[in-house]
Amino acid sequence: MNLTKKIVLAEDNSILSKLLQFKLEKEGYHLLIATNGKEAVDLIEDNNPDMILTDIMMPFISGLEVISHVRNKLEMKTPIVVFSSAGQEEMVLNAFNLGATDFMSKPFSPNELIIRIKRLMQ
Amino acid sequence: MLDLLQNSIDAFNNSHPLIRFCIYLSLLFIATIALLLVYLKNLRDRLRIKGRIEATYQKKYESDLIEYLYAGDDKNINAEQQKIVDYLKQCGENRLKRKLIIATLLKLKNEISGETADAIQNLYYKTGFINSATSKLKSKKWDSVARAIRELTLFEIKEAHDEIIQLINHPKKEVRNEIQKYLVQLFRFDGLEFLNVLENPLSELDQIQLLEILNKFNNMEVPDMNNWLRSTNNSVISFTLKLAKIYNQYGAKDEIIALFNHPNTEIRIEAINVVNHLGIFEAVEILKEDYFTRTLEEQIAFFKMMEEMSMPDDVSFIREHIQHDNFHIRISVMKIMNLITVDSDNTFKVNTVTPDFTIDKDLTIAS
Repeated sequence: MNLTKKIVLAEDNSILSKLLQFKLEKEGYHLLIATNGKEAVDLIEDNNPDMILTDIMMPFISGLEVISHVRNKLEMKTPIVVFSSAGQEEMVLNAFNLGATDFMSKPFSPNELIIRIKRLMQ
Repeated sequence: MLDLLQNSIDAFNNSHPLIRFCIYLSLLFIATIALLLVYLKNLRDRLRIKGRIEATYQKKYESDLIEYLYAGDDKNINAEQQKIVDYLKQCGENRLKRKLIIATLLKLKNEISGETADAIQNLYYKTGFINSATSKLKSKKWDSVARAIRELTLFEIKEAHDEIIQLINHPKKEVRNEIQKYLVQLFRFDGLEFLNVLENPLSELDQIQLLEILNKFNNMEVPDMNNWLRSTNNSVISFTLKLAKIYNQYGAKDEIIALFNHPNTEIRIEAINVVNHLGIFEAVEILKEDYFTRTLEEQIAFFKMMEEMSMPDDVSFIREHIQHDNFHIRISVMKIMNLITVDSDNTFKVNTVTPDFTIDKDLTIAS
């Protein structure tokens, strides 16, 4: 039985995805990367991850729609951490209303993200 | 076939000169369109190739950057990291590659903070890109200068301050705008020192951008604004009045009051508005004294101010203007009179707008 925890990361910034992949895989997590909301939804449906990290603004399907899909259609209770940028406060509130668990404002510290992931995984 | 061609040539030669001219014109258009199509196809192909090259290099530089960041945990760089630094330094000699490397560094730097962001900044120093950016400050091309300043701002290079401040009165407004953003972004309120030496006008858009940057920072010590309020540059005064209003600079009240006599009407009006915002009551008497010498716009601003700051002593003065020709002044007078009702026994009542909360305590004018 594979005990490695799976995390789906939905982020359109390729280099940030690579950085987080290095960091999280070093911590023992298995990271599945999606470059847009549509890919993220497919990965979530196929892999049933232990955690979802999503940016708010993404091509095709936004982070808010991903959260809504996970909570309302798939009815999953997986923790969801949202990445927001400056000026997206309203969207963060919407994300929480839709069922997001936590949020991190960009620019964020990758080390802080790992601490939050560990805490939410407990 | 040959007959048909011969007949066509004969028909063309025998045709009316106007028809021949139209045919020549049509042939010219067809040739032009054909050439344009060839050119556009060529351009599209070149752009596609350039895009593919850029994407390949970008991918390579992204991998290099990640490798650099995770090649060592120590503060000092190891051999593997040095190899990447040397490679990036070598690539940086090519203009396109340098642009791609900078874009890659910024793409990550803008998204993260902490140790990793510091490491990226460190890489910027080690690759020597900082030197090429600072050397561009001396360029004769204004766009190169503006781009270099923007790059130094994004990488938060404070060391370039002395060189950049010397360009504050650059003839191109784009360069000046980049300098202003550099100074305020990196040095916050201290960066506003450029207001002391700025000779060119600070546009409304520039002012909004600077206020927006300052708005991002909290708990800052606001500097003394008196010098800027005495500036010979009207846009500097206008901007300082905005700062005084936003950051509630009551301490600058004497200089703000002094602006009531500024030669520029807009500044005088703005000063009245700031006085209203800060609640500087001593300004009321000053404005009342020379009210009739002021322009209509100033009088309107004064009455707008009085809506918030009128005292019982002012009632007689205000009442004199109830039949004023100007609609805005009449409205302000009525609003003020509606707030303060003077009774026949020389007492006045402050009327509140909230029906649930009424002050029923009568006060005498003397009180």
